[in-house]
Amino acid sequence: MLDTFTELEAQTEATLGIIKTMKDEVSHLTEENNVLRMENQHLRDRLAEIIKQQSIEKQMTDSGLTKSRLNLEKIYEDGFHVCNLFYGSRRDGDEPCAFCLEVIYGERK
Amino acid sequence: MKFTVNRAIFLKKLKDVQLAVSSRATIPILTGIKLIADSEGIKMTGSNSDISIETILTVSNEAAELTIDAPGEVVLQPARFFSDIVNKLPDETFTVEVKNGVQTSITSASSAFVINGLDAVNYPRLPEIDTKDAFTLPVNLLKKIIKQTVIAVSTHESRPILTGIHFIIKDGKLKAVATDSHRLSQRVIPIEGTENLSYDLVIPGKSLQELTRLLDDSLDEIEVSVAENQILFKTEDTYFYSRLLEGNYPDTNRLIPESSSTQLTLEASTLLGAVERASLLSHEGKNNVVKLTVKDNSVEITGNSPEVGRVNEQVTFNDLKGEDMEISFNPDYLKAALTTFGSIEVTLKLISTLRPFVLVPSENNDEFIQLITPIRTSS
Repeated sequence: MLDTFTELEAQTEATLGIIKTMKDEVSHLTEENNVLRMENQHLRDRLAEIIKQQSIEKQMTDSGLTKSRLNLEKIYEDGFHVCNLFYGSRRDGDEPCAFCLEVIYGERK
Repeated sequence: MKFTVNRAIFLKKLKDVQLAVSSRATIPILTGIKLIADSEGIKMTGSNSDISIETILTVSNEAAELTIDAPGEVVLQPARFFSDIVNKLPDETFTVEVKNGVQTSITSASSAFVINGLDAVNYPRLPEIDTKDAFTLPVNLLKKIIKQTVIAVSTHESRPILTGIHFIIKDGKLKAVATDSHRLSQRVIPIEGTENLSYDLVIPGKSLQELTRLLDDSLDEIEVSVAENQILFKTEDTYFYSRLLEGNYPDTNRLIPESSSTQLTLEASTLLGAVERASLLSHEGKNNVVKLTVKDNSVEITGNSPEVGRVNEQVTFNDLKGEDMEISFNPDYLKAALTTFGSIEVTLKLISTLRPFVLVPSENNDEFIQLITPIRTSS
């Protein structure tokens, strides 16, 4: 009879051990799940941002200008010549320059 | 040297030669006029470092009443002083006589001047140009081309090549282009007898302006010869030499847009009037800008100078096609361009607010083109 009790105690202790491990396992998984969920959210936000930016850039190229031409346009608007005749010299009094405009907006064949 | 000549006719010739003489000549002797008398007549020469004019008054010209008593040569300076004397002489004819080498007496009726001349040996020689490959141009057409393109010539010496007009003769056509990078003017005409010729020249705009002053409307044709760095325009009795500008003229073909999104056709004089009125205000303001607005089938010219006031005017037009558009520009460029068209119908071709626009005659629109670069406004 006592032997039976001792055996039962040992079995219960083993079961308790298993339950403890399982509980730890579950709490660990829940934690990991939360971390991954957050990470995923961040990545989604980032992706949305990139897509938005890309569409803006695309709109800019839709106006017919590549990035390098936009750069030239910016220099021109800052008041400097970008044409090969006067390159780098100042546009006095914001004078317009047909050669520069051709460089910026002209069609290349 | 001694000769007697009709004053009015001599003076006319003298004034022609005087066009080339600058009072601020780099070589002092160039402030004067060289006279050479020989059995054929009197040859007069005036020059600055850019242009030289030489003209001959022949004895066969009866109205000139020219008699040459002794051949010889002298330089009289300054040119203005000499022509003023001739202008004020009392009689219809006068006599010029050189004594003691350079002492020159000018007598007319009871009036007598003695002025100190210079030895003509020291006068620079004019370039020699081979006239074998000469071609002829109608004078009125040449003058017209010069007047139409010279407006766009640059007045800044920072880029010397742009102070000239670029003439290209090829395939029997003459193309003249001038640009100061803000606007451009191009004229193309076919000319007979140049099918085998090919020239690419840049002639100083100032020289050509003097040439139009020299050329009388009564002349029919002028002969043109080209040497390495000189060009010669020759009429019956007058030679006009000009220096050519060295260097390559920038490629202007690609500046002229091929397509357009808005075409506006109207009378040049109507638009000119509107722009002139708008420019009255823009000249008073800080920035000389007027705006052309094409919207809802109406055309409006506006000028706005915060410190002075505003102006707007609806412009009547004959035809309008394409998109709405707003473009700002310097009204002086448009005024100058419109003036060259005279009173004909013109078409404005606009591409976008930022791109240059062109003006062409409504008919024959590939022969004459004026391009104007817009001004960016911060709005």
